[in-house]
Amino acid sequence: MSAQVLIFGALNGVGIGMIYFILSVGLTMIFGLMQFVNFAHGAFYMVSAYAAFAIAQWTGSVLPALLISPLLAAAFALASERLLLQRTYSLPHEAQILITFALAILAQESVTMIFGTLGKNVPVPEIFSGVVIFGGFVYPSYRLFVVGIAVAVALAMWLAIERTRFGAMVRAAAENAEMMGLLGFDSRKVFMAAFAFGGALAGLAGALAAPLRGVEPLMGREALAIAFVVVILGGLGSFSGALLAALLIGITQSLMSMIWPGGAHLMIYGVMTMILAFRPTGLMGRS
Amino acid sequence: MTTEGLRFPNGTTVVIAVFLIALPCILPSLTLASEILVLATGALSCTLLLGSVGLLSFGQGLYFGLGAYVSAILIRDFEMSALAATIAASLAGCLLAAAAGLLIVRRQGVYFVMLTLAFAQMGFFLALAFPRLTGGENGFGNVPRTAIAFGQFALSNPLLLYVFLAILSFAAFALVQRIVASPFGSVLNSIRYNESRSEALGYDARRFKLAAVTMAGGIAALAGAMNTLMLNFVPLSAIDVETSERLLIASLIGGVGSPLGALIGASVLSAMSDFLSPIWPRWSMVVALLLIVTVLFLRDGLLGLGGVLRRQGKEMPNG
Repeated sequence: MSAQVLIFGALNGVGIGMIYFILSVGLTMIFGLMQFVNFAHGAFYMVSAYAAFAIAQWTGSVLPALLISPLLAAAFALASERLLLQRTYSLPHEAQILITFALAILAQESVTMIFGTLGKNVPVPEIFSGVVIFGGFVYPSYRLFVVGIAVAVALAMWLAIERTRFGAMVRAAAENAEMMGLLGFDSRKVFMAAFAFGGALAGLAGALAAPLRGVEPLMGREALAIAFVVVILGGLGSFSGALLAALLIGITQSLMSMIWPGGAHLMIYGVMTMILAFRPTGLMGRS
Repeated sequence: MTTEGLRFPNGTTVVIAVFLIALPCILPSLTLASEILVLATGALSCTLLLGSVGLLSFGQGLYFGLGAYVSAILIRDFEMSALAATIAASLAGCLLAAAAGLLIVRRQGVYFVMLTLAFAQMGFFLALAFPRLTGGENGFGNVPRTAIAFGQFALSNPLLLYVFLAILSFAAFALVQRIVASPFGSVLNSIRYNESRSEALGYDARRFKLAAVTMAGGIAALAGAMNTLMLNFVPLSAIDVETSERLLIASLIGGVGSPLGALIGASVLSAMSDFLSPIWPRWSMVVALLLIVTVLFLRDGLLGLGGVLRRQGKEMPNG
């Protein structure tokens, strides 16, 4: 295998990894903020990917979905938080896990009811259907676009959390929600905003991934497992850990799919097992 | 598990035995009764983990699938008897659970749950990546209906098959009751109530958790082997995450406070699947709603329904 093919595979992996990062960072943020484990996170991703499919059917392009799908996912997240999940804040983690898991089943079954069990393709938007050539490398321009969006999102998120008043409130709520309430801030609103934001990020990942992998009802389940691997390796609540872990498994998956296509997904979990064997607390070394 | 009924054998043991004998008499088909046995035994592994140590596992399907494949390979390619293959499959489940458990029990709480799911997903992709061994998406077929042992008692007789499955299932239930009633079970119980206090008393919580995970893996693998005996076939779905979820849901709906809960949960879930799925393919929605109701209002599952009606629900101990 030539170096060029390897570099191409690695670049592809960066694209996949960035989608995994956007997917996982919402999960890790909601946990960091509220100590809330969301098993419905993959469902947000899946619902949004289906919305992207429907939008591409109606308008002929998936591009508007990049804006609309995250909004829909945010609305879905917000509605489930208000109607169901806020009742579980005082319950043990196990109860939260099971309630959100049930929510994920409801979402998956609803989508199957509307769109059927069979997978569907989502066309790559026309402007990005070509390839970009730089140096000797040929790279599909949609993947380059995905990387660009993901980098922009990551930067914007870092700025929002580290540099804005809202970010300071989020960090404060994560540190001590009760104290924040005593200081006169409504931590419930911060939680709601975080839920909506986390949902929107999962939604963006779903909309970005739809043209690359198509849509099918079980994709939410698969995405949830991937997001778990990312936070197991990167540590819950850690942005840089999530980025590192997501890129690592994205590149692993991409390179393996050239060497051994049948084992590409397997190796994501293989890498996880190997890392855990030597570093039980993950890449960043926190438990 | 609740402190009353910690003896073995006790009234619950008798109820389980009666239940297993009555099942084929009440139900319209022997197939459905056998399905319930398989699901109940698999769910029992979740009940053992959650009810005694307080560990939530989204990954028991991994060991279920392993047990299914190992028993199928041993019966078809090595012409083993049903009993020998079942025992070997259960031991294989213990081994895999011990190996995976070494990595899993090092992490606590939420990480533990996520790791069980990740390993279950890994098992699925493993089965998919080696189709020569597992049959891949087509499943592992042509498993002959063998005899129980020494060439005697051919399992081609459906009633005999049920009796054999019921005996295996009863053995698993009795084992779990025995474990819970033992001093070892008391330590597991103390870890569920307060892990750091148990450690302060000198118990190595990780080793006890590892032991519980290992036993639960063996029980789930036993259920997988029973599934193979029942179907003569191992579908790829035997090892997918959905199987893990079904085992967990069955144990939760029934209630993890007693092994009996696994039997009740499995009966309810199998009966629903049998009666609802022909009418409405999306019947899992009903299951999801039932799960929400169970978690929010019936913390002891259907088994605790009577208690809830009598008084206000008590606090969940592992909070």
